[in-house]
Amino acid sequence: MIQRILAIIQKEFSQAWRDRTTLAIILTIPLLQLIIFGYAINTNVTHIPTVVADQSLDQASRAYLDAMVNSGYFDVVATAPDQASAIRNIDEGQAHVGIVIPPDFEKNILRGDAQVLILVDGSDYFTSQSANAFATIIGQEYAIRIVYAEIAQAGAQASGTSLPALNALIHVLYNPDMKTLWFIIPGMAAMLLQTQSLALTAAAVVREREMGTIEQILVTPIRPIELMVGKIVPYVIIAMLNMLTVIAIGVFWFGVPFQGSFWLFSGLSFLYVFSGLGLGLVISSVSQNQRQAQQLMMLFMMVSLLLGGFIFPRYTMPAVVRLVGNLFPITYFVPIARGIVTKGIGFSVLSGQVIALVIYIVVVMFLATITFRKRLD
Amino acid sequence: MNIAKSLQRLRALIYKETVQILRDRRTLILFFALPLVELFLFAYAVSLTVTHLPTAVVDQSLDTRSRNFIQALENSGNFDVTAVYQNEQQVRQAIDAGAVKVGLIIPPNFERQVLRGEGSVLILLDGSDSFSVQSAYNAALSITQKYSLDLTTEKVQGGGASTALNALEGHLPITTTTRVLYNPDLTDLIFILPGLIALIMQIIVVTNSALAIVRERESGTLEQLLATPARPAEMVIAKLIPGMLVAILDMVMILAIGVFWFKVPFEGDILLLGGLSILFIISGMGLGLVISAIARSQRQAQQLTTVIQLLAMLLTGFLYPRTTMPVWTQIIGNFLPMTYFVRIIRGIMTKGVGLTFLWSDSLTLLVYATIALAIAAAILKKRLD
Repeated sequence: MIQRILAIIQKEFSQAWRDRTTLAIILTIPLLQLIIFGYAINTNVTHIPTVVADQSLDQASRAYLDAMVNSGYFDVVATAPDQASAIRNIDEGQAHVGIVIPPDFEKNILRGDAQVLILVDGSDYFTSQSANAFATIIGQEYAIRIVYAEIAQAGAQASGTSLPALNALIHVLYNPDMKTLWFIIPGMAAMLLQTQSLALTAAAVVREREMGTIEQILVTPIRPIELMVGKIVPYVIIAMLNMLTVIAIGVFWFGVPFQGSFWLFSGLSFLYVFSGLGLGLVISSVSQNQRQAQQLMMLFMMVSLLLGGFIFPRYTMPAVVRLVGNLFPITYFVPIARGIVTKGIGFSVLSGQVIALVIYIVVVMFLATITFRKRLD
Repeated sequence: MNIAKSLQRLRALIYKETVQILRDRRTLILFFALPLVELFLFAYAVSLTVTHLPTAVVDQSLDTRSRNFIQALENSGNFDVTAVYQNEQQVRQAIDAGAVKVGLIIPPNFERQVLRGEGSVLILLDGSDSFSVQSAYNAALSITQKYSLDLTTEKVQGGGASTALNALEGHLPITTTTRVLYNPDLTDLIFILPGLIALIMQIIVVTNSALAIVRERESGTLEQLLATPARPAEMVIAKLIPGMLVAILDMVMILAIGVFWFKVPFEGDILLLGGLSILFIISGMGLGLVISAIARSQRQAQQLTTVIQLLAMLLTGFLYPRTTMPVWTQIIGNFLPMTYFVRIIRGIMTKGVGLTFLWSDSLTLLVYATIALAIAAAILKKRLD
C-alpha cells in the first residue's frame, strides 16, 4: 500500500515539476497577494474627505472645525455655502462627510443649544462607520471641554474638584496601537492558504478524468484512498512552503510580532492545509469537468472567506449561517492563527479547534474516496 | 459582401457556443444556482455593526456608582455582560480563550474616588479582532465621557454652584446631529448588497470566460476552429455573446431578489443600470478572455482567476475603502472592471445619481471593454502565426 502511494506521489511530483510556469505561479501568488493586501487594507479610516458649510464663521465655529481637523480623521477638501450644496458634494463623491454649522454658533453655545449637523456618505461602509463614530466623539469631547471650562469658571475648582470625574483607561490587548496590519496578517495567512489549497486540488481528479488518464490509473492495482492520499501529499508540501513564506513576509517584512510557539503553529498549519486540500479533492471528485470544479471552488472560496471569521466577526452571524461556516477549515484556523501569532496562547486553549481539524481531515478524505469510488461504478 | 460573410460565420460560431453551453446542463445549473447561494448566504450573514459584544466584568467596589456605570455600558446596547470575575487575571484569560471580547475592571472604592474626582476604570479589548475592537473602543470612550460629565454636573449642582450650570441638567451645549445620507439607519444590507451584486457578477463572468479559449486548446478543438475561415475577432465575439446572455439573466435575477426579497431600495434609473451592467459584463468577459488567451492550461487559467477574485474582493472598494489605500494598490484595482462598477451600482442604487456623476466611470468601462476584447483577439491571432 505504501509503495503504491509512493508511486502516485512520484507521478504527481514529476507532473508538477514538468509544468514549471504553473509551479512558479503557485509559489509566488500568495506572496504577491500578501504584499498587496498588506499595504492596501486599512480599516482605520482617517483623513476622510470632508466638505464644510460654516454659516457662522465666528470664533467658536472655527475652533470646532479645528478640533475636527486636528483629530486627523477629517480633511477639509471643499467648502460649501449651505447644506444642499454640501449634499451635492457628497452625491458627486468629492467628499464623504459634510459638516454643517448653522448661523450664530457662538451665541447658541452660550445659550447652551448650539447645533451641528454631520452628513455622512452612507454608501460606503467603513467610511460612514468611522465618520459617524469619530464625528460624534470629537464633537462630544469638544462640548464637554466647554462645559468643564464653564464649571471651572464658576469656581468649582475652588471646592477641590478635579475634572473630569472619571477616566477610562482603554487597553487594547495584543495590539495596543490598533495597527490594521496586526489585525489582518494572521487571518490573511489563513485566507490565502485556504484559497491556495482549494485551488491546488480542485482540479486534481477531474483533470485526469477529462484527459482520460484516470482510466489508466484505474487499471492499476491502486485503490481510491491510495490515489487520494498520493494526490494530496505533494500539494501539502507546496502549501506548507506557501505558509512559511507568507508568515515570514508577515513577520520580517511587515513587522507583525509572532507571540506564540512557531512549532505549534507549523504543526497546526499542516493539519489546516491538509484539510483544505481534502476539501478540494471532494470538489474534484464530484465535478464532471474542470469548469464545474472551478465554479464550485469559487463558491467555496467566497463563502469560506466571508463566513470564516477573517473579515466579519462570527458571533454576530445567525446560528444557521455559523453552521455553514463550520463546513470550512478556515473557520477553525482563524482562531488558531490569531491565537498563536497575535495572542501567544498555547495548545490547551486551542484544543477544541485542533480536534475539529483532525475530525475534518478524516471526514473529508473519506468523502473524497467515497464519491470517487461511486463514480467508478 | 465581406461583412455578410463575416456575419454568417459569426452566426455559426455563436450557434456552436450556445449548443455547447446548453449541452452541459450541470454547469448551466451552477451558473444560476451559485449566485443565488452566495447572495442569500452573505445577505443573511454579514453584519457590519458590532453590538452586544460579550463582556466580562470585575467589580471590586460593588457600590451604587460602579453598578450605575456598568448599567450605562449595558444600556448602550454595545456591551453584554456575559461573565463576572474576581480579578484582572481571569479577565485576560477569558479574552485569551476568546470567551469574551471586552473586559471591564472597576477598582475598589470606586464611589469614593469618583466623588473626589479621580475615579478610573480599566477597559480591556481583544486586539486580535479589528471589527470588534473599533466598535468597542469608540463606544466605551463615548459612554465614559458622557457618564463622567453627568457625574460632574450632578456634583456641581449638589455643591450649589452657579445657576447657569443648573440649567444644563447634564446636556451638552452643542448637539451633534449625524445624518447618514442614503442609508439613515445604517442598514448593513444597503451597504453590502450593491457591491455584492458587482462581486458576484464579476466572479461569474470572469470564471466563465476564462476557460473558454484555453479549454478548446486543451481538448484540441482550437486547431479545428482555426482551420475554418473564422477570424480571431469573430471567435472572441462568438464566445462573448451566449455567455453574456447567461450573465444578464443572472444579473436580473439577483437584482430582483435584492430589491424585492431583501427590500434594498433602488433610488436611481433602472435602465441606466441595465445599460451600464451590460458594459460591465462585457468588460469582465473581456478580462476573462484575455486570461484564457494567455493561459497555457485550464489550470493556469484557474489560478489566475482565483487571484483576480481575491483582488476584486479586497481592492475594488467592495469591502475596504479605496481612499485609504496607497496609490499603487489603487492602480492595481483600476485593472479590474469591478472597481468602476462598484461606484456605478452604488451611485445608481443607493444614491440615486445619474450619468452626470457617473460619466467618467462609464466611459472608462467602455474603453476597458474595447481594449480587453482587442487584446484577446490580438493574442489569439499571434498564437495562430
